Amino acid sequence: MTAFAARMGDVRWTAPRSVGIFGITLGVIAVWLALPPLTARTELLPIAIGIVAISAGIWAWSRDERRIGGGAAMAGFLGIALGIAANQSSVANLDQVVVWSALLAATLRYATPLTYAAIGGLYCERAGVINVALEGMLLTGAYFGIFGAIETHSWAGKWAWVCGILLACLAGMAMAAIHAIWAIHFKVDQIISGTAINFLAVGITGYLFINRYGDTGTPGNVPDYGIPDVHLSFMSDWYFLGPIFGQLNLMIWLSFVLLIGTYIFVFRTPYGLRLRSVGEHPRAADTVGISVYKIRYIAVIASGAIAAMGGAYLSLGFVHSFNENMTAGTGFIGLAALVFGKWRPFPTYAAALLFGFSSALADRLPTAYGNQWGTLFQALPYMLTLIAVAGVIGRSIGPAAAGRPYVKQ
Amino acid sequence: MSDDRGENVELASSQDDVSQLGGTLGPAPSTQFASRFDGFTGIIAPVLTTILAFLVGGLVVALTGKNPIKVYHAVWNGTGLNWFFHVGSYSARVPFTTAHMWFPWDTASIAAQNLQQTLLITTPIILTGLAVAFPFRCGLFNIGGQGQYLVGTIFAVWLGTSFSGLNPFLHVMLVLIIGALAGAAYAGIAGILKATVGAHEVITTIMLNWIAVWVGAYLFGQGGPLQGSQPSIPISNDIVDAAKLPVFWGLKLLQGLSIGIFIAIAMLVVYWIVINRTTLGYEVRAVGFNPESARYSGISVARNYFLAMAIAGGFAGLGGALDITGWEYRIGENDIHASNIGFIGLAAALLGRNTALGVGLASLLFGALINGTSGRQLDPSIFRPDLAGNLTTIIQGLVILFVGLNLGGALIWLRRRFSS
Amino acid sequence: MAEAPLLELRGITKRFPGVLANDKVDFDLRSGEVHALLGENGAGKSTLMNILYGLYTPDDGEILLRGKPIELGSTRAAIEEGIGMVHQHFMLIPVMTVAENIVLATEPRYRGVLLDYDAARKRVRELSERYGLLVDPDANVGRITVGQQQRVEILKALFRGAEILILDEPTAVLTPQEAQELFEILRSLKSQGKSIIFISHKLNEVLEIADRVTTLRRGVVVDTVPAEGATEESLARMMVGREVLLRVDKAPPHMGEPLLQVENLTVIDDRGLEAVRDLSLTVRGGEILGIAGVDANGQSELIDAIAGLRPVKAGKITVGGHDVTHARAKATLDAGLGHIPEDRHRRGLVLPFTLSENLALHAYRKPPMSLRGFLNLRAMLSRARRLLKEFDVRGGQPTTPAAALSGGNQQKVVLAREIDGDPAVLIAAQPTRGLDVGAIEFVHRRLIEQRDAGRAILLVSLELEEILSLSDRILVIYEGRIVGEFPTTATEEELGFAMTGGTRDEAAA
Repeated sequence: MTAFAARMGDVRWTAPRSVGIFGITLGVIAVWLALPPLTARTELLPIAIGIVAISAGIWAWSRDERRIGGGAAMAGFLGIALGIAANQSSVANLDQVVVWSALLAATLRYATPLTYAAIGGLYCERAGVINVALEGMLLTGAYFGIFGAIETHSWAGKWAWVCGILLACLAGMAMAAIHAIWAIHFKVDQIISGTAINFLAVGITGYLFINRYGDTGTPGNVPDYGIPDVHLSFMSDWYFLGPIFGQLNLMIWLSFVLLIGTYIFVFRTPYGLRLRSVGEHPRAADTVGISVYKIRYIAVIASGAIAAMGGAYLSLGFVHSFNENMTAGTGFIGLAALVFGKWRPFPTYAAALLFGFSSALADRLPTAYGNQWGTLFQALPYMLTLIAVAGVIGRSIGPAAAGRPYVKQ
Repeated sequence: MSDDRGENVELASSQDDVSQLGGTLGPAPSTQFASRFDGFTGIIAPVLTTILAFLVGGLVVALTGKNPIKVYHAVWNGTGLNWFFHVGSYSARVPFTTAHMWFPWDTASIAAQNLQQTLLITTPIILTGLAVAFPFRCGLFNIGGQGQYLVGTIFAVWLGTSFSGLNPFLHVMLVLIIGALAGAAYAGIAGILKATVGAHEVITTIMLNWIAVWVGAYLFGQGGPLQGSQPSIPISNDIVDAAKLPVFWGLKLLQGLSIGIFIAIAMLVVYWIVINRTTLGYEVRAVGFNPESARYSGISVARNYFLAMAIAGGFAGLGGALDITGWEYRIGENDIHASNIGFIGLAAALLGRNTALGVGLASLLFGALINGTSGRQLDPSIFRPDLAGNLTTIIQGLVILFVGLNLGGALIWLRRRFSS
Repeated sequence: MAEAPLLELRGITKRFPGVLANDKVDFDLRSGEVHALLGENGAGKSTLMNILYGLYTPDDGEILLRGKPIELGSTRAAIEEGIGMVHQHFMLIPVMTVAENIVLATEPRYRGVLLDYDAARKRVRELSERYGLLVDPDANVGRITVGQQQRVEILKALFRGAEILILDEPTAVLTPQEAQELFEILRSLKSQGKSIIFISHKLNEVLEIADRVTTLRRGVVVDTVPAEGATEESLARMMVGREVLLRVDKAPPHMGEPLLQVENLTVIDDRGLEAVRDLSLTVRGGEILGIAGVDANGQSELIDAIAGLRPVKAGKITVGGHDVTHARAKATLDAGLGHIPEDRHRRGLVLPFTLSENLALHAYRKPPMSLRGFLNLRAMLSRARRLLKEFDVRGGQPTTPAAALSGGNQQKVVLAREIDGDPAVLIAAQPTRGLDVGAIEFVHRRLIEQRDAGRAILLVSLELEEILSLSDRILVIYEGRIVGEFPTTATEEELGFAMTGGTRDEAAA
């Protein structure tokens, strides 16, 4: 805490960097003011605030903080655009769509598979192995999770979801093992082996799904033994937080634990230190006696297990069914969140929340505005990532040795 | 002299200059990867890879209680490739005329119709395959073929439905060219980002893929700006007849084969010519093999990254335009979500080792596989088509998995090890 | 005083493909001494020490520690035996702190699971004070100076209980002042009972810090002498030897116009430091200017800047009358520069390309090699055939991939390509590195030939023999500056002296 306070004291509030961050904040405020509950009905407000944001961005850019400056200018433009859009719409529609408690609850739900995928990817990439197969591992977990639960339902009763999650983890680890062997032992290009896993996951889960449940789909009683929600009855009457946190799925709470646990593990334990050393400078780690291969294998297989858990949540805890290729790119959004969050747990979660929010919004938009806007908004997470990778983040700031197979001399 | 990987400096200067030829399972960063795929191991590796992939696929089938041989046989019959084996004496209609001439194969048989379908599917695969192959030669991994293809289809439908009364030749040319340019511009975004800020093309192209999917779904979905005249169905209008490609084999009503296949084959030739006979291809290959040496010779690496991506997008976009003008004639929200031609092209390019002939043959293989396993061809009592579709995906995944192993190289290495 | 040595290497032999790096080397280290290992680049010093640190296994010979033979199959084993090494290229992780780097793999624990950062910091500070190696445990390694990074590396070894410290060319990356600080540290370590092996080729430093000096030449031990009583001249003689120099017969130069002019050039290297400082030189047509110097004294950056591959911070470069100071590679090549890069695999050739394609790496843009964007393969092939014959390249046809050729022939291809471009100025960087005698002779003859044809040739080499044999004038570069100009009749000792900073000290004195 004291370190944080000390850093806050160190911040130079007029430095270009701070001005840039201020600009980004202004861009967000520009939109927020036009939305319920404040619903300021004047277009001048977002325009004015947006212009200040853009100027802050330009000023930061000119002072060599290019990325943050660019981000601020972008936020300014978006703020103006969305603010005007909000003003164009009727208040009734806005009220229908922007129900913050429901939106935030949905955000948490959408963000969770992303979180599991991203955290899984964190371990893998921090060890130096690129993982574009998060999508495949997520999907694998989704199928094997629900499959395990359905098949064991008869003797496990309402605890079937535990078996489901276990099976999902095993399946995810198996897929990850292929990626690990190909990338570490055969030293194949890691993006290629990751892409292969994605194809295999779609094909295998689809095949097994149709083979087993083809004509009827997954049974309708899955909610009986799916991953349960955690009811916090003491919260049920709380004004704002009640609807959001009162009835979250177990996996969502677990994801918080996972985040904190990951932070502690990676940044506060010796094992985490060695993990990071292997990803940054494997030769240096080797010269102090660390087994690079062993750590990489463990990291990749662990990532498979974690990502698969996210998939199990998706099928067993969220939609309570399975469909072919149901993850539809979620794994890649998770990877994007990881890059956006610079491979650190909490910023990654913030990115996952951002993406989850856009999905939640896209879900609610059709109720007032018609289907097509919901569809268009689905492209938002990908646009944000593109902008992030291109401008705000810049070149590779990931683990320095990621993607390069290690050859022991 | 200084080696920034921390390796022993003296070692580098005292070793003999035996350089690393392909054929060992050595480390493979993406530029060395490009050099592997240059005919060192010829045809052995793709054939081995394919056989291995089908074997493992057959294993999957067997493990779920079905007879793989029966399944593969049924698939084979559906591909239409068996058409070539029934030689006889028939009378065929010369395309675009009413005259008839002697032809050794029956052009109206069932097998013929199957073959038409196979070739129809092969057409876009060739182009999305080229969209992967070309940048690969430059050391770039373009996974964005799907998005670039979709952009091509979107512009094709838009232009095909927006004008009427144009001269057919002009209209078709307009659609094809704009479709290709749109794809090129779309891929160019990733190219510029790579060339300027060094953004990794894998992430950017994957993002662009999904953006294209959702924007396309929006455009043609219910309430979308390009939705057709039937408000309850999320499909565009048909393109006007003038914008459709002429069908030369089979009946247009029954989805006969358009001349698009020839355009695709022509693109294979263009690819070959550009890569092997132009200064652009020379630069692209140099950058793909060794960006450092290329830079030392004054070649602009950034410019080639951009051009490689743009040309790739052009191929993919053209593929989309060919599909629309050749047989689809319209596009719907569901089609956009279901489409995966871009990824099949990826597998085809990898299997075909990024050469013109290889991509062509691999595209034919996948086109045949997809057709043979489709609902249209496969007898559900032998094997459900949706199962078969997933089997195809598994085989594609296996192909990509085994391709990375460089099986041909492994074979050579094994031979060397055990003969000395 | 005959005391049993702490460490003994007996008869160590190590072979690499094509080269005998260590040939029956005997070496011993006494407790509490600083023993310098001296030799030119390629003499076998690093190989010997890598064997001692467990990175290589010797083909023959044995290692004895305190009289008992030991097996050093891995770095872990070496660390356990108390041997620590500070490599020339640091094995540090830039994004981590000093403390994290030092305790890596031997981290102090808190409650068994967590990393005890406070304990780590404390121990680092303790060690740091004990040995006089002042570092900030919380500093980010990527942001501290090179001198401080080196201290971290030494601490790393000491943290693991090293009694024997190997330092590989430690002053190569230090400023003179930092080098003095390092010597203070070494003396302190010595007084605390540590034994140090100090690899270097800088004669003045060796004399300053070492107790004994062992000289290696071409993998063989020349002699081991006490530092007391040795002089820089005597050491230089041992290091360089009295072999017959391969002098090429050459006519006196026929000087023309200045074709390459470098004025007050300052260039920044990858680390952000000045690699070339206010350097000026001129090369006339018809002369070979040789630049002698120890590796990493700015030669690479100088060449990169001239060739347009690296931005110039200050100064001016003129090639053939054209100002190419801020021109990129292509424009500079077009202005009349030929460049034989120092690494023919990584920078000179595209190995999977055929010989014909490699030969066309500059010429492909213009007719007759290409026309309106289309390559004229026939023209490329016939040009290739001509050049391969002219330069006597063996081992392949124009359609053979360059990777299939031997090193010597590959270098001939690079030469052929550059010379055929008819450059006004030709830069040759380490042109005979890794080549056999026949190829070396060939390259030398060609360079003289081009000199006589009126080109200006800038030769940069680490081999003094080569410089002396080919150059008409010799400049010595040291720490980014020209510290001496010598005629072709200079001796190796004179050059060696300047190369190790001698003349600079003289000038200062």
